[in-house]
Amino acid sequence: MKSSTGLKVVIIGCGKVGATLTEQLSEEGHDITIIDTDPQKVQELANLYDVMGIIGNGASLESQNDAGVDKADVLIAVTGSDELNLLCCIIAKQFGKCAAIARVRTPDYSKESNYLRERLGLALIINPDLEAARETARILYLPTALEVNSFAHGQAELIKIKIPDDNILDGMTISHLGMNITNDILICAVERDNEITIPSGSFELHKGDIISFAATRKSGKQFLSKIGFATRQVKNTLIIGGGRSAYYLAGELLRRGIEVTIVESDRARCELLSTLLPKAVILNGDGINQDFLKEAGIEDFDSVVPLTGIDEENIMLTLYTKQVSNAKVITKVNRIGFTEVINNLNLGSVIYPKYITSEAIIAYVRAKKASIGNIETLYHLFDNRVEAIEFSVTDAPNVTGKALKDLKLKDNLLIAFISHNGVAKIPSGQDMIEDGDNVMIVTTHKGLTDINDILR
Amino acid sequence: MNTKIIRYIWGYVLRIEAVFMLLPFIIGLIRHDEGFMWFLIVSAGAALISIPLAFRKPTDTVFYLKEGCVATASSWIIMSIVGALPFYLSGVIPSFADALFETVSGFTTTGASILPEVESMPICYLFWRSFTHWIGGMGVLVFLLAVVPMSGGSHINLMRAESPGPSVGKFVPKVRHTARILYIIYLFLTAVEVILLMFGGMDALDSIMTSFGTAGTGGFGIRNDSFMSFSPYIQWVVAIFMIMFGLNFNIYYLLLFRQFKKAFMIEEIHYYLLIIAGAIAIIFFNVKDLFATPSEAMTHTVFQVSSIISSTGYSSADFNLWPDVCKVVLVILMFVGACAGSTGGGIKVTRLVVLIKTIGKELKNYIHPKRVSKVKMDGKPVEHEVVRAINVYFITFMVIFFVSVLLISIENYDFATNFSAVLATMNNIGPGLNLVGPTSNFSFFNDFSKYVLMFDMLAGRLELFPLLILFHPGLYIDTFKSKMHRRAR
Repeated sequence: MKSSTGLKVVIIGCGKVGATLTEQLSEEGHDITIIDTDPQKVQELANLYDVMGIIGNGASLESQNDAGVDKADVLIAVTGSDELNLLCCIIAKQFGKCAAIARVRTPDYSKESNYLRERLGLALIINPDLEAARETARILYLPTALEVNSFAHGQAELIKIKIPDDNILDGMTISHLGMNITNDILICAVERDNEITIPSGSFELHKGDIISFAATRKSGKQFLSKIGFATRQVKNTLIIGGGRSAYYLAGELLRRGIEVTIVESDRARCELLSTLLPKAVILNGDGINQDFLKEAGIEDFDSVVPLTGIDEENIMLTLYTKQVSNAKVITKVNRIGFTEVINNLNLGSVIYPKYITSEAIIAYVRAKKASIGNIETLYHLFDNRVEAIEFSVTDAPNVTGKALKDLKLKDNLLIAFISHNGVAKIPSGQDMIEDGDNVMIVTTHKGLTDINDILR
Repeated sequence: MNTKIIRYIWGYVLRIEAVFMLLPFIIGLIRHDEGFMWFLIVSAGAALISIPLAFRKPTDTVFYLKEGCVATASSWIIMSIVGALPFYLSGVIPSFADALFETVSGFTTTGASILPEVESMPICYLFWRSFTHWIGGMGVLVFLLAVVPMSGGSHINLMRAESPGPSVGKFVPKVRHTARILYIIYLFLTAVEVILLMFGGMDALDSIMTSFGTAGTGGFGIRNDSFMSFSPYIQWVVAIFMIMFGLNFNIYYLLLFRQFKKAFMIEEIHYYLLIIAGAIAIIFFNVKDLFATPSEAMTHTVFQVSSIISSTGYSSADFNLWPDVCKVVLVILMFVGACAGSTGGGIKVTRLVVLIKTIGKELKNYIHPKRVSKVKMDGKPVEHEVVRAINVYFITFMVIFFVSVLLISIENYDFATNFSAVLATMNNIGPGLNLVGPTSNFSFFNDFSKYVLMFDMLAGRLELFPLLILFHPGLYIDTFKSKMHRRAR
């Protein structure tokens, strides 16, 4: 009767992140119970996915009892309130033995998140706004990239770019690229006409392709400058909207020496921001007023990040900015679906915080399911069609100690880098994986849980 | 509409039925019964047809409530037609309408029969008749969910369309595991009954067939006089198991996982047992002089009350001859039916409790018009949406009921016969009053009336709407249009 494959997962809160998690975790075959006070939300999710719904306050013992928290493996609290999330986890820890994951967004707590996590015995504290700010900042350091994901504690990066017209890469095969330009990078995935390919050596690149390549920090920049991309980080950034995400982003950017200007309509919030971020320029005014933005000098910034909290406004602002300047724009989309429509709008870099949260949690859940080794990081690329997973390898005799060319890997799977003793390296066929290494895999297969899964 | 997935489900339903049909075939083979080969032939035919239907899993496995209802209702119709073929082809039941009536009555766990006597029937056919009860009791699609791995999450819609009751809950997060637990409980209870009956001196095959009829709350007997000639021990065992199969299966799940306190707090079960106790008291008081001893009167009273409220329809005595007040009580019990989440039919105790509580709430509002109050079940407020659905269910039930009575009465039999024939079929009970009473059968109706009653049985078993949606033109127009549209592109 008991399933041997899935974990028992309880998700408290059926908002955006709760729904995304329910969708992705139920696809991976876990036994999921969702709790929310809103019967309609619970009903909707229970109709769509094979999950059990409980209506009630997730922090109450009664609801947790109904949901079987005492027997659960993982509890994820993603309600709208930080305090409630923490309370859910505390009660669950008393009640059962599950790993508890809480989403905590308020800056007051997030500064202390390590302390909270250790003292309360939580498995993970996730701050999607902070994570989104970090991802935004990473792109602003390398503004020609569409997306930058970091692996191996920042040692290696997965960089996504679009090949422009008249680029030398147009019409070049991957093996030619390796021989003539650089072999320090590895092209992991190519998107062309909405199709994803994990390319082999004979694959020919075209203009308009979106490619994702793995590289160490230095070699990535070198490669980009060799093929004619600018690699300077931006000098200044205009952030439209002064919410929590803006605060986190401004903090990250100021630390890197990037000048920050924030536009915010609420006077009191502006005053608070100006005390919290003394180095930033805070402008009080309506961020979606065209004249005001002109006065703020939107044309002169080399990067703009709209963070109004309303997706439609953000998209509108991005389109406007693209019209009046050549600035790098990063759009944050919180709520709306229609990913295909957004992709076709050619907005450039788009960030989805709900995926950032769910990626971290799914990485954790999969690692918990795995018998050996561990998943360190997981990213969903290209609209969830490609997964990039970083494993730490321990005790896996099937894959260690053999040259990569002798391993029978699955189709559509690449080993993007191996990090040995903290040094990341793009591997060739002669390299081998050793115990204690970190290995990054790029694949279109879903649901890989441990390093042995890479074999056929 | 996702027609591909519906076809795929048909294929699997046929396969499962083909496998089930091998059981009467084997029994016939061992006993050298007359006409047992027909089970193998029909089973092979069904298996053959299922091959192209379920050959390849459709890529789009998502389906919504609409697909769930259509798949369920159409599967039940297909199942009944295939199940009727052995009866018809072998000539055991010469008319096709009669054979279909018998099979629909079997799968819907009604137990209304067109056969005047059953003892002369080959045992393998008798077995198939009882077996259809067992299959139909928990539902073939629930079985499908338990055994066939179906990816995707929307399969709760299949279960929702097939399971009795206003709200279908899950015990555990996955539909598949829930369906398995249900079948395990079902099998276990059936097995316990078989063993207890064998202690009472019944032979193995008879006790299995009797238990099938009880478990599915069906009511096909294996003797011409149903249960009148069995010993009181057997009558008591069957009576108690009828009540047990009429209970909400949640209680067994909770008992299984040692949540005793919760198990005994289920409000619906309190009312169910209360109604049974009340009905027994009234009937016993009125029939105690009809029987030789009070204990005999008690046996028959308990047997009859549990048989009717659980919608089984076995009879240990001819209640047609009882005083009128007893018949009225039994007619009311026919409407009430068993608990939601059981294998029984009827309107269901939960629905009636909610309806009656709504009356109380309405009265309170007459005293204090601005008063805000909510109907509660198990201490939790019942959502407005659920109350609305129950009201609509009740009205629909009544509309179908009276239209059916009208259609049946074209034949000009007496009112009690027509009324109770529809009542007994729509609530999946079996015997009614007067001409369709416990010692009679339904064979005298003409084919038209039989088809009306078959519709009632299916509507009652599938809780009205999954069957009714098949008759909604919007379903076909939309599907047709989208097909044309695709072709045009």
